[in-house]
Amino acid sequence: MTAPILAIDTLDLTIGGAPILKGVDMVVEAGKVHALVGESGSGKSMTALTTMRLLPHGAEASGTLRFGDEDLLAATEERMCALRGDDIGMVFQEPMTALNPVKTIGEQVAEGIRWHTGANRPDAEERAAHMLERVGLPHTRFPLDRYPHELSGGQRQRVVIAIACALRPKLLIADEPTTALDVVLQAQILDLLKELVSEDGMGLILISHDLGVVADMADDITILRHGVVQEAGHAVDVLRHQNHPYTQQLAEASAHVPQWQSRARSPKDTALLDVQNLVKDYPGPRNGLLARGDPFRAVDDVSFSVPPGRSVGLVGQSGCGKSTLARIVLALDKPTGGAISFDGMQTSSLNDHDAQMALARREMQVVFQDPYGSFNPRQTVERLVAEPLHLEERPLGRAERRERIVFALEEVGMPADAMHRYPHEFSGGQRQRLAIARAIITRPKLVVCDEPVSALDVSIRAQILDLFAKLNDELGLAYLFITHDLTVARAITHEVMVMDHGKIVERGATADVLDDPQTEAAQRLVAAAPDLRRAIERRVGNTVPPSPRERGEGAPS
Amino acid sequence: MLAYTAHRLLIVLVTLLVASAVVFFVLEIVPGDPARLMLGLNATDDAVAALREQMGLNQPVLTRYFAWLAGMARGDFGESLTYSVPVTELIADRVIVSLPLALLALGLSTAIAIPVGIFTAARRGTRADTAAMAGTQLGIAIPNFWFALLLVYVFAVTLQWVPAGGFPGWDDGVWPGLRALILPAIALALPQAAILARVARSALLETLAEDYIRTARAKGLPANRVLWRHALRNAMIPVLTILGLQFAFLLAGTIIIENVFFLPGLGQLVFQAINQRDLIVVEGVVVLLVATVVIVNFLVDLAYAWADPRLRRR
Amino acid sequence: MNDHLVAAEHEDWRLFLKKARANRSFQAGAIITLLIVAVATISLVWTPYDVSRLAIPERLQGPSGAHWFGTDHFGRDIVSMIMEGSRNSIAVALIAVGIGMVIGVPLGCWAAAKRGWIDEVFMRTSDIIFAFPALLSAVMITAIFGPGAVNAIIAIGIFNIPVFARVARGAALSLWPREFILAARASGKGPARITAEHILPNIANLLLVQGTIQFSLGILAEAGLSYVGLGAQPPATSWGRMLAEAQTMMAIAPQMAIAPGAAIIVTVLGLNLLGDGLRDVLDPKLRRQR
Repeated sequence: MTAPILAIDTLDLTIGGAPILKGVDMVVEAGKVHALVGESGSGKSMTALTTMRLLPHGAEASGTLRFGDEDLLAATEERMCALRGDDIGMVFQEPMTALNPVKTIGEQVAEGIRWHTGANRPDAEERAAHMLERVGLPHTRFPLDRYPHELSGGQRQRVVIAIACALRPKLLIADEPTTALDVVLQAQILDLLKELVSEDGMGLILISHDLGVVADMADDITILRHGVVQEAGHAVDVLRHQNHPYTQQLAEASAHVPQWQSRARSPKDTALLDVQNLVKDYPGPRNGLLARGDPFRAVDDVSFSVPPGRSVGLVGQSGCGKSTLARIVLALDKPTGGAISFDGMQTSSLNDHDAQMALARREMQVVFQDPYGSFNPRQTVERLVAEPLHLEERPLGRAERRERIVFALEEVGMPADAMHRYPHEFSGGQRQRLAIARAIITRPKLVVCDEPVSALDVSIRAQILDLFAKLNDELGLAYLFITHDLTVARAITHEVMVMDHGKIVERGATADVLDDPQTEAAQRLVAAAPDLRRAIERRVGNTVPPSPRERGEGAPS
Repeated sequence: MLAYTAHRLLIVLVTLLVASAVVFFVLEIVPGDPARLMLGLNATDDAVAALREQMGLNQPVLTRYFAWLAGMARGDFGESLTYSVPVTELIADRVIVSLPLALLALGLSTAIAIPVGIFTAARRGTRADTAAMAGTQLGIAIPNFWFALLLVYVFAVTLQWVPAGGFPGWDDGVWPGLRALILPAIALALPQAAILARVARSALLETLAEDYIRTARAKGLPANRVLWRHALRNAMIPVLTILGLQFAFLLAGTIIIENVFFLPGLGQLVFQAINQRDLIVVEGVVVLLVATVVIVNFLVDLAYAWADPRLRRR
Repeated sequence: MNDHLVAAEHEDWRLFLKKARANRSFQAGAIITLLIVAVATISLVWTPYDVSRLAIPERLQGPSGAHWFGTDHFGRDIVSMIMEGSRNSIAVALIAVGIGMVIGVPLGCWAAAKRGWIDEVFMRTSDIIFAFPALLSAVMITAIFGPGAVNAIIAIGIFNIPVFARVARGAALSLWPREFILAARASGKGPARITAEHILPNIANLLLVQGTIQFSLGILAEAGLSYVGLGAQPPATSWGRMLAEAQTMMAIAPQMAIAPGAAIIVTVLGLNLLGDGLRDVLDPKLRRQR
C-alpha cells in the first residue's frame, strides 16, 4: 500500500444553505484510479470542485482535505493557485466548451507550464508539444497553432488532458471525462488516462455514472448517493459482491433487461417501414464568394425495412448519420435521393399539406433524447400530450379527447391528474414518460426513438426500458430505436443495424450481431462498449488491465 | 479570411447601392415641386419652369438617378441650390468639425466605459459595482442635449472655462478648435459610455461563466489573470458591435448637439438643407453618412475575424 | 377543466409575484412607470394651472409653494406643463413601439420559420435600414413630411420595426431546432401554427423586455425631435419643446431646464429599470431547469 495523496475526511458542503455533501470520507492513493460513482445529484462533481477549491458562490465546506502535508480547505487562494495545474490537474466533462476558442492549443497547454515554472515561451512550447504528443496529438499532424474549433471532440479532450497533465500532477481529477463522447472515443480516452496514471504514478479520481467504465478502470471505488457515501472499497470486490443494497441496485439497473414477452417473437413477413437507397447530402462549407466545398454525405445509400411490431435498433458512433436518418424517416427532412414507404404510403414524396401525410404522421411518432427540451415549458401536460391529436381525421369532442389523454397517461404509468400541471414540475424520468404518452396517443404503428434513455440515470433508464417493452407487448408498437449504448440495444431490440459513415454496414438479430460482430465497424463498437459483467470477469481472471490492443484501438480521432 | 473579406465587401457594395436608391427615391416622393418650394409661392410659372430645366427635373427619374450615381462615383455630389457651390465643398467644410467631434466622443466614451466595465465585472456584487451600475443607469437615461445645456450653463456661463458655442476653425492651431469641441464631446460621450460600460460588463460576466474559464482556473491561473488573458478577448465581440453602432450614432447624432453649441457641422448642414429644400445637399450628406456607417460596420466585421479565429475560415 | 387550468396559471402568477417581490429593480421601475402613467392620465382632466393661459406678471418665478418648479417666461406653471407634456411623450413612444412590434415581430418570425433566401433578404434589408442613422432619418422624415406628433411617431416607429424583427428572429431561430418544436412538426403542425402555439409564447418575455427598452428610447427620441422643433407643435406642449424654450433662457432662468430634463430622466430610468427587472423576473422559464 502506497501513501495516500489525498485524504478527504468528514467533508460537509452546503450551497446557499442546502446540504450537498454530508460527511464524505475518501482516500486516493498514488498510481491508483479511484472511482467516484453516483447518479445525478449525488454530489460527485461537487466533491471534485471542493478539492480544486473552485466551488460556486455561496458554497461552504468543512472537514479536512489532506493533500500531502497540508489541508486544502485551509490553504490560501494564492497557495491553491500554486497547486492547481501543477500538483492537481482536472479534466472536465464537456470537451467542446472546455477550451478557449480564441487561443491556439499550443498557447493553452504552454500557459500553465509558463505560469508554474517560469519557463520562457520556446521552452514551454517545446514541453507543450511533447505533452501533446504524449496524449496522441503529434505536432506533425496537430501543430501548436491549431485552434480548438479545428479539432474534433475527442481531440479536444486530449488537449484538455494535456493541459491537466503537463506538469505531471500528483493528483488528476477527471469529471465524467468521456460522457460527452461516443463509446469508441470513450475507450481511447480512458486508455490514455490509464496510461498516464501508470507512467507518471499519479492518483486519479475518476468521476463516473457508468459502472461498466468503473469496473474496467478503477482500483478503488466510493459510491455516493445524496451526498452520503454508501459503500467504499476495492473496486472489483465492491462490484462483484454487491453487498450494499444501493450498489446492488445500481449494478442491476445498469445491466437491466426488461421482462419482454415479445422478445422471442418471430417477425412478420410484411414491411411497415421500407427504406430504399436513401441518400442525404448537406451542402459543403462556404469557402469562397460563391464557391462551396464538396457536399457532405450524411446518409449514403441506406436500405432497410422494419416489420410491424418489431423493435429495430440503429447503433453507431456519433456523427455516423443515425440521427439524420431518423429525421428523414420522420419526414422532418427531405432526402436527396431514395424512397421511403411507410404503411403503403410513399412518405418521401409527400408534402406537409397532403392528407396522406397527416395519416402517415399519425401512425409514426417520435421520442427524443432530452426530457427537458421535449416540451414547450409554457403549456400544460394536457396540451402537450394531446398535440398529435389534431392529426385525427375528425375533430375529437372534449370528453373523447380527455379520455384519450387519460388513457395515454395511464399507459405510461402517469396519474390522470398530471395533465393539469406544467412539465417543469416533473422529474426527467417522468418527463420521458410524458414524451412517450404523447407519442402513443394517436395509437401509432411505429415510434422512432432517438437516444430516448441516454440522458437518464441508470435506475430511471431501467424503468423507461421496461415501459418500452410493455408498450411493444401491449400495443404492438414497432420501434426504430437509435442508441449509442449497446446495453440498451441488447435490452430492447429484436435486431440491430450498425451504421458507419452514413452506411449500414451490418444487420442481424441483436444477440448475433453484438456477440459476434462481422464487420470492422461493428467490432470496434462492441470492443469499446463498457460492460460491467465482462469487465469484472476479466479482472477477476486476470488482474492485469486490458491493453489498448484488446479494445481494437484505432487512430486517435 | 480572404473569402470572408470578399463576401463582406460584396454585402457592403450592395447595401450602399440599395441605400442610395432609397435616399434618392424617398426624396423623389417628397410632396410638392422642389423648384416651386425653393422659389417661394410668389414665383412666376416661367421662373419655376426655368429652374426645373436647370435642375434637370424634366428628365425621367431613372435617368436622373443614374446620372446622380455616376456623379457620386466620380466624387461629384452636384451643386447646392441655395449656396451655388459644389456639395463636395460644403461637406468638406463641415466634416472637419463633425469628424473630430465624433472621434473625440468615441475615444472618450471608450476610455471611460472599458475600464468601468472590466472593473465592475471583476468586482461583481460589491458596493462599487452596484454604485457604478446605478451610475450607468442614470447615464443612459440622460438625454444628451439636456446634458449639453447643463454643461453649457456650468462650464461656459457660470465658470466661463470654455466658450458656450460656435467654432473658431482650425486655422489658429489645434487648441482653440479642440476647446470648442470639448463640451459637445463630453455631452455626446457620457450617455454612450454608460451603454458601452454595461455591455462590456455583461459580456465579460457571460464569458467568465464559460467552461474554458474553469479550465484556465484549473491550470492555477489567479482569477485576475484569467480575466485579462482569457475572458477579455472573448468578450470583445459584443463590445465591438456596440462600438461600430456608436460611431454611426455619434456622427449623425451630432445633429442635435451641434444645434445646442452652434457648431457648423454636418448635422447643422443637413438640418438647414432640409429646411431650405436643398435636396441635393440632403442627398449628398445622407449618402455620405450611410456610407460611413456601412464601412465602419465592415471594419467591425473584420475586427470580429481578428478577435475570433472561428470566423477566419469562412 | 377550466378551474384546473386557472389554478395552474394562478400558480404561475404567484411565482411571478414572488420573484417580483425579491427584485428591487423591477419594483422601482414598475412604481416609477405607473406614477408617470398616472400623472399623464390625471392631466387629461386636471392640472394645477391652466397651461394655455399666459400670465406675464408671474413669469420666470423660482420654485415656491404655489409653483413647485416655478414658472416659465410666459408665467405658465412648469408642473402643469410637465403633466401636459407627459401625454405627448408617452403617446408617441408607445405607439411607435406598437408599430415596431405589430410589423416587426411577424416579419422576424416569418424569416425564422422560412430560413433560406427569404431570411437572407430580410437580414440584408434590415442591414440597410440600420445603415441609416436613426435620428438623422427621423429628422429627415419629419422635416420633409412636415413636423408634428404623427410624423414623429412614424419616424420613430419605422426604426423600431427592424429592432423587433431581429429580436424575434434571433429568439425564434434558437427555438426552431429544439426538440419540442421537432415534436410539433412530427405531429404535422405547419410553420404558422407552430409559431403561434410554441414560438410566440416562448419569445413573448423577450419582446416585452425589448418593448420597454424601445419605449424608453422612444421617449428620448421624441424629446430630441421636439427639441429641434420637429415633434409636437404648439399649442401642444412636450418635454423636448420645454427644453428648447429653456435654452434661450439658460442664462437668466436655468431652473426652466431642470424640471423637463428631470422628467425625461426619471421616465427613461423607470422604464429601463422595469425592463431590467422584467428580464430577471421572467427569464428562467426558457432555460433548462437542471
